[in-house]
Amino acid sequence: MPRVGRTLSSTILALLATASLHAPSSAQGQGQAAPPTMVDLAGSWTMSNEEELLIRIDPGPELGNFTGFPINAAGRQKALSWNSTIQAVPEHQARPHPAQYSMRGPGPNFHMGEVIDPVSRRLIGYTITGLFENANRTIWLDGRPHPSEFAEHLWNGFSTGEWENGMLKVTTTHMKQAFLQRNGIPSSPYAVMTEYFIRHGNLLMMISQVDDPIYLDEPMVRTQTWRWNPNQREQPIGQVEIAEELPDLKPGDVPHYPLGTRHPEYADANGLPFEATLGGKETLYPEYVDKLKEMMRAGEKRGSR
Amino acid sequence: MSRGFIRRVAPLVIVGAAVCALSAQQTPPPANRTPRSASPIDLTGNWVSVVTEEWLWRMTTPRKGDYTSIPLSDEGRRIADQWDPSTDGSCKAYGAGGLMRIPTRLRISWRGDDALSVETDAGQQTRLLRFDRAQAPGSRSLQGHSLAEWEPVGGQPVLRNGRAIGAAPPQGGTLKVVTTNMTEGWLRKNGVAYSENASLLEYWDRVAFPNGDVWLIVTSVVSDPRYLVNDYTTSMHFKREPDGSKWRPTPCRA
Repeated sequence: MPRVGRTLSSTILALLATASLHAPSSAQGQGQAAPPTMVDLAGSWTMSNEEELLIRIDPGPELGNFTGFPINAAGRQKALSWNSTIQAVPEHQARPHPAQYSMRGPGPNFHMGEVIDPVSRRLIGYTITGLFENANRTIWLDGRPHPSEFAEHLWNGFSTGEWENGMLKVTTTHMKQAFLQRNGIPSSPYAVMTEYFIRHGNLLMMISQVDDPIYLDEPMVRTQTWRWNPNQREQPIGQVEIAEELPDLKPGDVPHYPLGTRHPEYADANGLPFEATLGGKETLYPEYVDKLKEMMRAGEKRGSR
Repeated sequence: MSRGFIRRVAPLVIVGAAVCALSAQQTPPPANRTPRSASPIDLTGNWVSVVTEEWLWRMTTPRKGDYTSIPLSDEGRRIADQWDPSTDGSCKAYGAGGLMRIPTRLRISWRGDDALSVETDAGQQTRLLRFDRAQAPGSRSLQGHSLAEWEPVGGQPVLRNGRAIGAAPPQGGTLKVVTTNMTEGWLRKNGVAYSENASLLEYWDRVAFPNGDVWLIVTSVVSDPRYLVNDYTTSMHFKREPDGSKWRPTPCRA
């Protein structure tokens, strides 16, 4: 081949190679889905929200404090009958926090690890470890379906994730009947949780929505923020020794408050109208501020008579 | 220069030129795009606070000296303990450092092509999130001077020799806002204060849940070397509303 021809042919080959590098984007234009763009979430994360500290750590939420929760009548009734003594029943002593709550407290300071397919080297899942009582989670990213509705429900449920514009959207089903707050605000096994993990440099923000048709009037939405902390190390799992703490409990007894019980202590301690502490969706919106002021003024007048 | 060298180099030069041309076609020149036209997410519209966290401290005026969860310094505590309850309702609670924690509705709109206006009906405040970095801050004010920029989720690309390393950033994005030049204001309605030395870092995100609800999340980091011992980090969520029919302007007390 003449020299000019060889130069031309090597140029054409190089151009073809370049074109092949751009082939995926051309193919995407013809209907193939673009590969999702992920943002690395792996690493150690330390809770940095300065919100509800006394509620999220110890001593925890007060009995009868249902403020901020859109619970319905069924949820309220169940919450009012909850008795903290139930945590001393042997079967309950080593229970981990459920997925509906475990990202909320205590801490949590967790490690997000990668599950890598050994052959393709693709990221097929994230693990979240360091949650209370080993309530560790796995978020599958490989497109696997959720189990049958008849499958076992677990403390951490079953989670799958997908990338949405760099945000990790996680859907969790198959959670156990458990709680949204550590004072008995319930969550049913029919609840579905959707979370978005959004990274901003060294900050990780997560918004979660728990949609529960049994105990909520509208989905419960909360947000939390962590800061990347490469010096963080996971603490050993708290070893729980099951002990007999309720010797007088008869077999089959379930510690609870009877139906119709009121818990006015939280309202009294904070100068709130009792009704306002019972939660409900109406109480979450700005217009309730004025209603609350009126109720408090009326209460003061009654008190001064 | 030998012919052999030219033969070896020529294809590389041509390929390089082709790649540059291809790249230039794929990315519109940034100079032609305004912050408004370059918006990766739409933050405009009507939004409402849904107070599911710190209800007691946000829906009511907390008692004097209740600074639960706020990492106050000794000086910050001293100031908070001096609060006069007769000043409840003061506009100081509606400064940029604490405004987004007030139960309120937001009305967000573009003001021109390079500023987002964020109005609140509670306290009737307006924040201007400016993309134009050339604008002078002016004198100190309750809402301060807010500089905004669109940022890819995950953060700005890591550069080496002026080129981004790694995969292309995801579509979508977040609004990063840094606010300075504020007058002293309150983090809570009970006079827990931030000083005029404070700065505010915010990330504004938007997500949609399967039930159709659309949410705006504002992650807020208040730094104040005077009244705080470490950053005060909170996150607030606002649900999108179809219109402004529930807008109820309520002034604060000067």
